[in-house]
Amino acid sequence: MMASYRRAELLDRLGIGVIVALAVIALALLLLPAVIVVVMSFDTRGYISFPPQGFTLDWYYKVFNQPVLVNAMLTSIKVGIYVTLLCIAFGVPTALACVRGDFRGATALSVFVLIPHMVPGIVLGVAVLFTGALFGIGPSIWLQSITLATYVMAVMVRTVMARLQRLDPLLEQASANLGATRWQTFRTVTLPLLLPAILAGAVFTFIEGFDNLSVTIFTHGYRDRPLPIELLAIVQNTNSPLVAAVSSVQILLAMLALGIISLTIGLDRVNE
Amino acid sequence: MSKSLHRRLLDEILSGSGIWPAVPAIVVLIVVAVIPFCILLSLGFSEITVARGVIVSQEFSLRYLLTALADPLYHTTFQRSITLALLTTFVCVLLGFPVAYLFLIGKPWVRRLILVLTIAPILTSGIVRTYAWIVILGGRGVVNSVLIDLGLISAPLRIINTQWAVVIGMVQVHLPIMILPLIAVMSRHDRRLDEASANLGASRLGTLWNVVLPLSIGGVGTGAALVFTLSYTTFVVPQLLGGGNYLNAATMIYEQVVYSLEWSKGAVTALILMSTCLFFLLVFAWLTNLGTRWTRVAQR
Amino acid sequence: MNVASNVLDMTTGAARGAPVVDIRGAVKRFADLTVLDHCSLTAQEGEILTLLGPSGCGKTTLLRCIAGFLTPDAGEILIDGQDTIPIPVNRRSVGVVFQSYALFPHLTVARNVAYGLRMRGMAASEIDKRVATALATVSLTGFEARYPSQLSGGQQQRVAIARVLVLEPRVLLLDEPFNALDAKLRGTMQMELRQLIKRLGITAIFVTHDQEEALTMSDRIAVMRAGKIEQLGTPEEIFDRPRSAYVADFVGASNFWDGFANGGRVVLPDGQTVTTSLSGEVRVMIRPHNLALRPAAGQSSSWTGLIRFRRHVGALMEYEIELDAEHSLRAVALRDGSVSSLASGDTVSLSLRDPAACIVFPRS
Repeated sequence: MMASYRRAELLDRLGIGVIVALAVIALALLLLPAVIVVVMSFDTRGYISFPPQGFTLDWYYKVFNQPVLVNAMLTSIKVGIYVTLLCIAFGVPTALACVRGDFRGATALSVFVLIPHMVPGIVLGVAVLFTGALFGIGPSIWLQSITLATYVMAVMVRTVMARLQRLDPLLEQASANLGATRWQTFRTVTLPLLLPAILAGAVFTFIEGFDNLSVTIFTHGYRDRPLPIELLAIVQNTNSPLVAAVSSVQILLAMLALGIISLTIGLDRVNE
Repeated sequence: MSKSLHRRLLDEILSGSGIWPAVPAIVVLIVVAVIPFCILLSLGFSEITVARGVIVSQEFSLRYLLTALADPLYHTTFQRSITLALLTTFVCVLLGFPVAYLFLIGKPWVRRLILVLTIAPILTSGIVRTYAWIVILGGRGVVNSVLIDLGLISAPLRIINTQWAVVIGMVQVHLPIMILPLIAVMSRHDRRLDEASANLGASRLGTLWNVVLPLSIGGVGTGAALVFTLSYTTFVVPQLLGGGNYLNAATMIYEQVVYSLEWSKGAVTALILMSTCLFFLLVFAWLTNLGTRWTRVAQR
Repeated sequence: MNVASNVLDMTTGAARGAPVVDIRGAVKRFADLTVLDHCSLTAQEGEILTLLGPSGCGKTTLLRCIAGFLTPDAGEILIDGQDTIPIPVNRRSVGVVFQSYALFPHLTVARNVAYGLRMRGMAASEIDKRVATALATVSLTGFEARYPSQLSGGQQQRVAIARVLVLEPRVLLLDEPFNALDAKLRGTMQMELRQLIKRLGITAIFVTHDQEEALTMSDRIAVMRAGKIEQLGTPEEIFDRPRSAYVADFVGASNFWDGFANGGRVVLPDGQTVTTSLSGEVRVMIRPHNLALRPAAGQSSSWTGLIRFRRHVGALMEYEIELDAEHSLRAVALRDGSVSSLASGDTVSLSLRDPAACIVFPRS
């Protein structure tokens, strides 16, 4: 009897081993490219060639001394901030209405808000570009920001909604029972409890405003060229570690964002 | 009188009990998303004249739509886009599910590592992540250098600017989007079911196949739909790793709208892209529904 | 197919009377916490053995070790004399009924019950036959196509039982199977389950923290404390002859009266004596139903107290009687005329109904 299942047991272990190995390969696939980019950004040669030789911070110095790149970064930061502010202003009240709303169609509303994010960004970008053209509104940093805000509003709404749904409504009732007005309750109870979710949502919306290409490429202003547009141009045209340095700066930004998210809502809640 | 109305409105907004708090967002979504989609739709059926970035005239015409549907270039481009997106989705499921399974059986530190490695790429620019593959697969890139140093090849292989480079890049860029919904399913998974399965005689593979996988179908469906949409409509990866001569539907729209300024053609291409995308999403939803029918049985 | 027949063969293996499950000095530690502390126990052929104890006493851990979900750090667990430690969890002839039943939500009742047979590679026609028999045994014929979410709690429990019974396991393990049921259903299900197990003659080990459930269900009860067996015996032995104050306190309600033993006797305040082999400081256990109450008015009694409050418990009336600032006793009486006239605030005199039913423990 012992021997009869030894073989099956071995096969079972082998199968699970293969699956775990696949998982490790997948995880390595996610990690390695970033590591290689960062390593290459310190190369002393003027072109990308593996393995890197020497160590220099020159490329980083150059990144921050090229007016084109610096302007592009500033533009993208601005867009990121605008998008985030728009998403907070429009998204947070919408989340409140979706969760607390006792009107008919509250569920339909929560679905409606998510639609723009499910439509391909490239289609939204083209549609907005054409619509603007019809009414004489050309691409600009404003058109770009409002379009991106519409595109990622869903992320803010969903993050805040997830938090609101876990919030005990008794807390607010207790506050009212203790004599607080609606405004006092909102300011002292609801808002502080929602803040982590809003902050996490803000990280996502800022990153989208900063990084997005599919919507940006059709709606950005010709004078205010944002970073993804500049980056796309240099990646296609040069082979210098300068791009690796810009990329490393962006990876650093992503790490920062990751840190904020794990401190606010926790990484395990991202997929809600 | 006006003050009491003012107070009531504030009350409704703060308590979120009425639809009022959502009204500004609804207006924005209608103006910036719904109306533009309607206009895009109408442009697909029109002949338009553009002067200095402004549409000056628009007349009903099926010319562009019919031309596009008969154009062999469109056929090959969309066929290529769909194949590429389906292949990407398939490989993402193949690599993503094992990661989710490792998340399920892993210790807390493994779970945390998986979360970090999955979420960090989502927060990193797609251009940056695609650029990394130029560094890895390029003529003097990591792969070629290592192969030459090992003496396996004498001259660099041409990997970049091939279809394989595009597929590898696509999979890597979209893998996290596949993993996240699967992880969501796994964190809700009841480990008692796995114990029950083992107790009834199933091996770990048997449990994986008969319990874990069927209960993850919803997550696979969500992830596959997201990955398909994104990989079907992206143009960063084909543009950069395909060397500019790998045309998919998204790069086609980009060239028509931004370079050759053929907006009517662009509108038609965008419409075809969106409707085919919707078709595949419906197929995915239908398949997912088949796999999760048990969740919709009449409750007692 | 070998596997299936092997597992099934084992049911005819051992001779009657020999221990089916034999746990020898099992130890299990989680970090610094010792959950099982050299625990030894045997379960005889066909008996229902209950592991009873408060949460954290190690009863569930012991169950999980027998099932193979956990591996003990030391000690042996034998089934029919064979060491089970090296046998993987999916090859043990041990069926578990989980606390929450752990029914597969994506499979119908029939597929849930067929699951184990399918894993053994049995032919479909044979599976169908056995599933039908198993469902008939638990009176669930006609529910084959339902999903678990379409069943009541009691029906779900019966599916969970059918799912393991169909495999004809050598040992049935039940982990607090009545927890998810409401109080009313619990009583009927306990009786039904006991009758079913007895009818099939399966050896069962049953975990609970509910002493009444243990007394109803079991042939023998093992009261556990801090990873050890405190006392093993029939329900009568456990209830009437608890070996320690811990067991007395856990099984059935108990009063403890602190006294002094002299010359093999403890004198209680009402003048009656309890015999004991102990001497010195002792603690006397008095069951609430062993205390008789009388209105104290007009009589002079040496053992009196004040009724703090009374509580209706079905046909009985329970009284909390305050002796002094620190001591109080609980008494139970049938609600007949003389006693139900007693109310809160009344002074009553107490006496033992049967001194022989008292148990004397040393005071530690």
